[in-house]
Amino acid sequence: MLDEHLVRLLNARAACALEVGRLKREQGIPIYQPAREEEVLKNVQTLNTGPLDQAAIKRLFERIIDEARHLERIADEVELNEQQKMKE
Amino acid sequence: MVVVMSERASDAQVQNVIAKLMEMGFDVHRSTGALRTVLGAVGGTRQADTALIEVLDGVQEVHRITEPYKLAGRTFKPDNTVITIGELRIGADEVIVMAGPCSAESEPQVEASAAAVKRAGAKVLRGGAFKPRSSPYSFQGLGEEGLRLLKAAADRHNLKLITEVMDISQLDLIERYADILQVGARNMQNFTLLRELGKSRMPVMLKRGISATIEEWLLSAEYILAGGNMNVMLCERGIRTFESYTRNTLDISAIPVVKQLSHLPVIVDPSHGTGRRDKVAPMARAAVAAGADGLIIEVHCDPDHALSDGAQSMFPQQFDRLMAELRIIAPAIGRSICLEPVARRGWGV
Repeated sequence: MLDEHLVRLLNARAACALEVGRLKREQGIPIYQPAREEEVLKNVQTLNTGPLDQAAIKRLFERIIDEARHLERIADEVELNEQQKMKE
Repeated sequence: MVVVMSERASDAQVQNVIAKLMEMGFDVHRSTGALRTVLGAVGGTRQADTALIEVLDGVQEVHRITEPYKLAGRTFKPDNTVITIGELRIGADEVIVMAGPCSAESEPQVEASAAAVKRAGAKVLRGGAFKPRSSPYSFQGLGEEGLRLLKAAADRHNLKLITEVMDISQLDLIERYADILQVGARNMQNFTLLRELGKSRMPVMLKRGISATIEEWLLSAEYILAGGNMNVMLCERGIRTFESYTRNTLDISAIPVVKQLSHLPVIVDPSHGTGRRDKVAPMARAAVAAGADGLIIEVHCDPDHALSDGAQSMFPQQFDRLMAELRIIAPAIGRSICLEPVARRGWGV
């Protein structure tokens, strides 16, 4: 039940990341935004009330961010391929 | 690749490495530990140079997960490569023995040597026509005349012929006579020659360089494979170490290592590997026991008067004895060697 909830939330977050990725692409901003990632990591640690410690929360969110970056990169590649096809 | 950051690495340094890895096309998995950060880089499509990451500030070590060679690796082709030359199959169950003189010197010498190795059970005649010698004053080989003598003797005794190609300019000529082209240790990193052999479709035996690591050796094979010539076998012939008692140190351990990393057949040259006639047989036995797909051995009808490598050439009787021993060793590890009966001993035909 909790896991189901988590999966839904993670996917909702991923959908947001894809949207942000699209905006980054339009604006010509690189996918990797270290300052923004730091901000997210700090924020979730502030929100954390345990029993998971701060380091554990940080590690978990690092993985979530890794996957978001991966999604954005794949979306970028697909877009790039389509643009190339259009040109041809 | 896995990037281990140093304990003192700053956030900015970690971020810089992530940015660089992403620029190289990797997905990055960041893992922040109590003391240090480890970055896993996965999914890169092209060959990444780990040195580009090693030099970045805050990086302690970089480990590559995949091998730098592709076509030569087991990942690309899990099954053993078997090279077929007529009825001969190199890399299959049968251990193939190539033998003959270091160089072709005269018609009687080539004929006597070919007859001797055939009787003992060799399948391929070896012999040089163009000899790369350490000294420019040593015998340099008979050239095309040597090729002609070797080919005639090989044909007479139903043997295939392996001979060394030293230079691109000899390739057309040698291809007319040989069945297998040998690349010598000194030419292992002659990349122009390797590229040219990649365009050929004739089997190539690539000897390991005198100071080459196994990875460098497989990368050299990759040059030939990348050109489209998949008929490549590797030959361990001893490497240079601090030991001076033997001419080289034959790296027996390279056999199982290469067999694990690569699908290409592995041939062992105990003659150059030791440089001493009396050490050839023990190392040949060890090579077969260690899983070599073949041997290449110098046998001379009159080693004491050989124009090159006399000290490491076996007498025909020594070679006979060795072959008899190998017929006992090979089945012990599930291999065969020289299946047909040998006429001279009256075992059959």
